[in-house]
Amino acid sequence: MTPSSRRDLLPGTLDMLILKTLMAQPMHGYGIAQHLQRLSEDVIKVEEGSLYPALQRMRQKGWIKAEWRQTPNNQRARYYTVTSAGRKHLGQQESGFLELLSAIGRIMRPA
Amino acid sequence: MREWLNRLRDWLRRDELDRELTEELRFHREQLERDARREGAPADSARYVARRRLGNMTRVHEEARDRWSWPWLDHFQKDLRYAFRGLRRSPGFSATVIVTLGLGIGANAAMFGVIDRLMFRPFPHLRDPSTVHRVYLTWQDRERSRTSSAFEYTRYLDLTKFTTSFSQFAGFATRGMAVGVGDASRERLVAVVNASFFDFFDMRPALGRFFVAAEDVTPKGANVAVLDYGFWQREFGGKNVLGETLYVRNIPCQIIGVAPRGFVGVSEGEPPAVYIPITTAAGNEPIERMATNYYRTYNWGWMSVMLRRKPGVSEATASRDLSQAHVRSWNAELALEPGGTPAAIARPAAIAGPLRTPAGPDAGLESKTLLWVTGVAVIVMLIACANVANLMLARVLRRRREIAVRLALGVSRTRLLAQCLTESMLLAGLGCVAGVAIAQWGGAALRHLLVGNISALDVVTDWRTLFVAAGFALAAGLLTGLGPAYLAGRGELATALKAGAREGGAHRSRMRSALLVLQGALSVILLVGAGLFVKSLDHVRDLPMGFDAEPVLYATANMRGMRTTVEQQEALGQALLTAGQAIPGVESAAWVSAAPFQSSSATGLYVEGIDSVRKLGRFTFQNTTPDFFTTMNTRILRGRAFTAQDRKGTPLVGLVSEAMGKALWPGKDALGQCMRVGSDTIPCTTVIGIAENAVERSFTGEKGFMYYLPIAQHEPGSGFALMLRMRGDPRPHQETVRKVLQAVMPGQSYIRVQPFNEIIDTQRRSWRVGATMFVAFGVLALVVAAVGLYGVITYNVAQRMHELGIRIALGAQSGDVVRLVIGQAIRFAVIGLLLGLALSLFAAKWIEPLLFQQSARDPVTYGLVAALLLFVALAASALPARRAVRADPNSALRTD
Repeated sequence: MTPSSRRDLLPGTLDMLILKTLMAQPMHGYGIAQHLQRLSEDVIKVEEGSLYPALQRMRQKGWIKAEWRQTPNNQRARYYTVTSAGRKHLGQQESGFLELLSAIGRIMRPA
Repeated sequence: MREWLNRLRDWLRRDELDRELTEELRFHREQLERDARREGAPADSARYVARRRLGNMTRVHEEARDRWSWPWLDHFQKDLRYAFRGLRRSPGFSATVIVTLGLGIGANAAMFGVIDRLMFRPFPHLRDPSTVHRVYLTWQDRERSRTSSAFEYTRYLDLTKFTTSFSQFAGFATRGMAVGVGDASRERLVAVVNASFFDFFDMRPALGRFFVAAEDVTPKGANVAVLDYGFWQREFGGKNVLGETLYVRNIPCQIIGVAPRGFVGVSEGEPPAVYIPITTAAGNEPIERMATNYYRTYNWGWMSVMLRRKPGVSEATASRDLSQAHVRSWNAELALEPGGTPAAIARPAAIAGPLRTPAGPDAGLESKTLLWVTGVAVIVMLIACANVANLMLARVLRRRREIAVRLALGVSRTRLLAQCLTESMLLAGLGCVAGVAIAQWGGAALRHLLVGNISALDVVTDWRTLFVAAGFALAAGLLTGLGPAYLAGRGELATALKAGAREGGAHRSRMRSALLVLQGALSVILLVGAGLFVKSLDHVRDLPMGFDAEPVLYATANMRGMRTTVEQQEALGQALLTAGQAIPGVESAAWVSAAPFQSSSATGLYVEGIDSVRKLGRFTFQNTTPDFFTTMNTRILRGRAFTAQDRKGTPLVGLVSEAMGKALWPGKDALGQCMRVGSDTIPCTTVIGIAENAVERSFTGEKGFMYYLPIAQHEPGSGFALMLRMRGDPRPHQETVRKVLQAVMPGQSYIRVQPFNEIIDTQRRSWRVGATMFVAFGVLALVVAAVGLYGVITYNVAQRMHELGIRIALGAQSGDVVRLVIGQAIRFAVIGLLLGLALSLFAAKWIEPLLFQQSARDPVTYGLVAALLLFVALAASALPARRAVRADPNSALRTD
C-alpha cells in the first residue's frame, strides 16, 4: 500500500460503495472503511474525513439509519443499516454506473 | 422535502448529534490504535498512527456538523431573541406597532372573510370549480341593457339543445316551501334541482342515493327527496329515514337519500333542507297553467342554470356559444308567442359567469358596496403600514450610533439587514395574532350588519382567512422593515460615530415626510367616502316613502300548493281580514294582493289618446280593501278612497298615484278620467282619487306609477297578505296576530307574520353597510394618521431641541417656536389634504352609483373633512409644540 497505488474515487461513487457495503450487513464507520479497503485490495482508501460527512448526509437523505449497538467485543458502536429508500437509490445508481463503466471501457479499449 | 425535515430535526437535536459523533470517532480511533498495536507498534506510537490516520479530527467534526447546522437558522434564532429583547425594552413602541398592524390586518381579514364567502369561495365537493358557470342572460329592453340569471325551463332546454361547448347542464332554484305535516311543518328552504345537478359534485350520499334522470322528467317528476345532512341530523336524529314520506308543500315525497356532510349545493346563504327534482316541483305548481306548460312556454322565469365547459373550451367561446343559443331561443319564443321585440332590436346574448351571483354581472348594490369597503380596508392597512414604517424609521435613526458601532466592529450589512427584517417580521407576526383576534370580534359585528347574507364568519377556524391574514402580515413585515433596513445598512460610518444621536440626514426626513403625507391623503379619501355614505343613508331615511311602516305588521299566507276557487279565495280573504281587525291592538287592517317590496303586479293598461301606455314605464297595481290607505298611512291628495260600496256590480273605480296621474293625463285633472285595466275592451275604471307617490319595489330608479283597485271588484288571486296597523310597537303583537290568523287557515296552510319595517330595512342595507363601514374605517384611519403625525412631530422636536435652544437663546419668542412646530404639522396636513381631495375627486365617478341621491363631489363633505384633518393636525402637534417652547437655551449652548 503505497500512496501512488491509491486511486481517487469518481465523484458520487462513495455513496454507492457505502450502500453496497451496508447491503451485506449493518456496519459501523470503522467497519465500512475496513471493508472498502480490503475488498478493493487497498486500491480504494476512504479518508475518514470524507466518510463521516458522507454518512451524515446519507442519513439525512433517508438512505441509511443509524443506531447504537454492542460490537462482538462488547464495545458501543454506531451501526448503519440501509433503508428501503437506500436500496432503491442503490439500484438506480448501480445500473447507471455499470452502463457508464462499460461505455468508458469501450472508449479506452486499444483501437 | 423529507431531507429538509430530517435536517430540521437534526438541527433541533444538534448538541446530541455532536456528542454522538465524538463518541463514534473515538471508537474509530480506538480500532485503529488496536490495529496498529496488533501489527506490533508500541502503545504511544500506535496512538500517534491512529491519530494521523484519522486525519484532522476537528475538520471531520466540522464537516459533519455542517450537515446539521444551518447557519442562517442559528442566526435567525439569535436575531429573533435579539428582536424580542428589543421589543420588551420599548413596550410602548411595540404595543403601538402591534395594535396598529393588528387593526389593519384584522380589518382586512374580516372583510376578506365576507367577500370570500360572498363571491369567491368554491362550493364544497364541487368538482373542478373553475370550469363551472352560472348562465346570465342579457338583452336590450327599451334602450336599457338587462342582465338576469332567471330562466324559463323551456329556455333551459333550448340552451342544452342549441349549444355544443358544454359537458354538463343543470337547472336549479331554491325556494321557501312548507316541509312536514301538522304542527311540525315549517317553512324551509327547498332546493329544486335537475338530477344532473348532483353529477357536478364529487361525493357519495351519506345515506341511500341521489335521484336519477328517470325520476326527473317533464311534465312531472317522481315524488322523491334527498335530505340535507344537517337537516337530517337535527330533525331526524340521523336515523335511517330511507323510504319514509316527507311532505314538501303538498307533495308526499319518499326520502331516498341524505347528502353528505358539508354539502350545500350552490346555495349562497343558509343551506337548503331538502332537495327534490325540479320537474316534481314545477309539475305540482298550484297554478294549473304553470304546472302543465312550464317546459314548453316562456312566461315563467324562475330558475337558474349552471353548466360545465368541455375541456379546451375557453370562457369567451362558451359565452359566444351561449349567446347564439339565446338568439335561437329568443326566436323560438317569438314563433310561439308573436308580438315580442325582435331579436335584432333586443340583441339577446348570454354570459358564462361566476356561479356566485354577487360576483356575477347582475350583482346587487350591496356586494358592490362591500367590494369598495374591502378596498377601504386595504387602504387602512396601507395607512397602518406607513405609520409603522415611520415609527421603525424613527427607531433606526435613534439607534444610528449603536448600528454604526456594530458595523465598525465588523457586523456585515447583510446580517444587519436580516436583523431589521426579523424585527419587523416579528412585529408583523404579533400584529397578525392581534389582527385575527380583532377580525374574530369584528366578524361578529359584521355578521350583525349583514344579517342573512353570511351564514358563518368564524375567522379562527377558517384557513382561507387565516392564510390571507398571514399574507397581509408578511407584506406588512416587508413593507415596514425594508425601508429601515435599507437605512440601517447605509450611511457614512465615521459621521454617524462622531455625530451621535443628533441630526438626521435630509433624505431620511424626506422619506418620513412622504409617508406622513401619504397617510394624510389616504385618510382624507376614507373620510370623504364616509361623509358621502352617511349623507346617502340620511337621504334614504328622509325619502318620502308614501307610507309609514313603523307600526305595521305584515302577514302572508302559505297555501302549500293548495288549489283554491275564486269563491274560496274571497271567503278566506274576508275571514282573515275580519279576524285581523278584531285583534286587540290592531288599529286597522287591509287585505292586499301584493305588498310593497315583496311583489308587484302589472297588467295591460289602456288610456284614450295614448298609443302605448307601456312605453311610458311600468305601471303596477295593488288590489286591496278600503282601509289600505289608513293602514299604510298613505295620504289621499284629492278625491276619495274606495269604500265597501265599491263592490262587484257597481261601476269600476280606482285610485292613481300622483306621478301616474301626471304621466297619463299631463296638464289635465286625473280625477274622473277613464282607464281600462287588462284589455281595451273592458269597461272604464274611473279614477276617483289621487294618492301620494309611494315607494313600491326599491328605492332607486322608480317613477312611482301605481294604481289601486278594490279587491271586491276583481279576482283576489291566491296570494293572501294582510297589512295590520298596530297601536305602538308592532313587535310584541307578532305572535298573538299569528295565532289568531292561523286559526282561520284551512288544512295544512299556514301564516307568517313579521314587522313590515324588517322588509324595508333589507332594502336600505347597502347604504347602511357603506355608511357604517366607511365611518368605522375612516375614523380608524384618522386615529392612526394622527398618532403617526404626533410621533413624527414629537421626534422632530426632540431632534431639534438643540437648534430650538439656540433660537431661544438668540431671542426667539415662544410664539415663534410654537409657529415653527405647528407650521410643520400643518404643512404636512395641507399637502396630504390636497392630494387626498384630488384623489377623491378623481374616484368620484366610480363611487357615485353606490350613493343615494348624493353627488360624490359634495363640497360640504369635502370642506368638513378638510376642517377635521386640519384640526387633528393641530391637536397632534400641540403637545410637541409645548415641549419645544421649553427647550433650554443653557444646555444647548453648553453641549458643544
